Amino acid sequence: MGNPRRTLGLWGHLAFLLWTLALATLAPGAKVILVLGLAVAFSALCAGWREVRRWRLWLFAASVLLVTSFVREKDLYLLGLGTSAEGFWLGLWMALRAASIALVANTFAGTVPVVEMARLCEGWGLRGLGFAVGVAFNMLPTIRETAEEAFNAMRLRGGFKCHRLEALKMLLVTIVAGSLRHGDEIVSAAEARAFNPESGNGEPVRPTPFDLAFIAVLVTVGLAILAW
Amino acid sequence: MKFTVRDLVYIAIFGALWGAAEMTIGAYLHVVYPPLTYAFIPGLIMAAIGITIALVGRLFVPRAGSVLMMGLVVAMLKALSIGGVKLGPLIAIVAESLLAELGLALAGQPSRLGFVLAGSLAVLWCPFHKPLVGSILLGQTAYKMLLGMIGRAARLLGFDARHGIAVVALLLLIHIAAGGAAGWLAWDLGGAVRDRLAR
Repeated sequence: MGNPRRTLGLWGHLAFLLWTLALATLAPGAKVILVLGLAVAFSALCAGWREVRRWRLWLFAASVLLVTSFVREKDLYLLGLGTSAEGFWLGLWMALRAASIALVANTFAGTVPVVEMARLCEGWGLRGLGFAVGVAFNMLPTIRETAEEAFNAMRLRGGFKCHRLEALKMLLVTIVAGSLRHGDEIVSAAEARAFNPESGNGEPVRPTPFDLAFIAVLVTVGLAILAW
Repeated sequence: MKFTVRDLVYIAIFGALWGAAEMTIGAYLHVVYPPLTYAFIPGLIMAAIGITIALVGRLFVPRAGSVLMMGLVVAMLKALSIGGVKLGPLIAIVAESLLAELGLALAGQPSRLGFVLAGSLAVLWCPFHKPLVGSILLGQTAYKMLLGMIGRAARLLGFDARHGIAVVALLLLIHIAAGGAAGWLAWDLGGAVRDRLAR
């Protein structure tokens, strides 16, 4: 099958995220174990063991299990501590469900590039989002410089010694106005290059044949798990 | 949604300003406040700051969908930041910008009142964020168990259930007021920026 990151596209990843969400919600009780097993396998194939090894995820799941075991009516006594069998089982299914969803969501966010997400949003009618993200990313150092210059200029003139709120407002106005002035230069540069936001950021993201086959398998397996 | 090049650059600038606030003030607040208070204090502060910036941006890009676009830009900037991808804040940012869009759409023409409504609706997302994300992750059973626990704790401590309702109402009021103040401030700030640029 090769590296799934090369064969499975954005649609495949999105389908698996939605599939896990649906199955973890609809599949009752012990069936969640199967969903978690598939989520772990998918995550390991797509992102290596990086996401599976995140200790916070399992600590969260364990804490859910621990808390719920002491909530319901106590009918089990272990080492003098009263616990609830019903609470334990309810907590176990809740913890497994949360772990499945969080694991697949983290894998999706960690493996699908932001550029592809922007292209997907552009396909849904948000034209120019990819361009805006690129400009915003490049604007961050400019904003930092503008903010530092404005802050130092105001501080050196004793701007924060009295009327602090007014000074803060003036600082914000200076930062926003400075950034917008720089933005006008970007607009001129983009228009000089005849940039057209309607042309979009490359081709829209379409499902690959592998994605479609994967989605068909997911639907079949999902129905089988629910019917079982 | 159709935006010109100028609109998109302005959306990017206000998105970058909101993103910079999230990455600096937001990160600082995460360190200062323990995780369990997140839903209240840092969430409230960051939502108010973010929506103020986005609403100032709306004055410069007066088209439907511009605040949502700014929210998406911020979400993607956060996804690219050093801290890595955390779904909770990403969902919150997009939800807040969607609610602000809803407020602006309800208000119709841009006005101070419309900004106050948009700000209040956006910040009102904060108290619902954790319960909603929690119910998706853990399911409805978790809430039945949580309510049972609260009921038992209240009986144990001799509290009346009405006190709980009063606390929740106060919490919602604080969020509505903070969001309204953010909208009010955004209207003033936007005017001041316009005056500065016109000089």
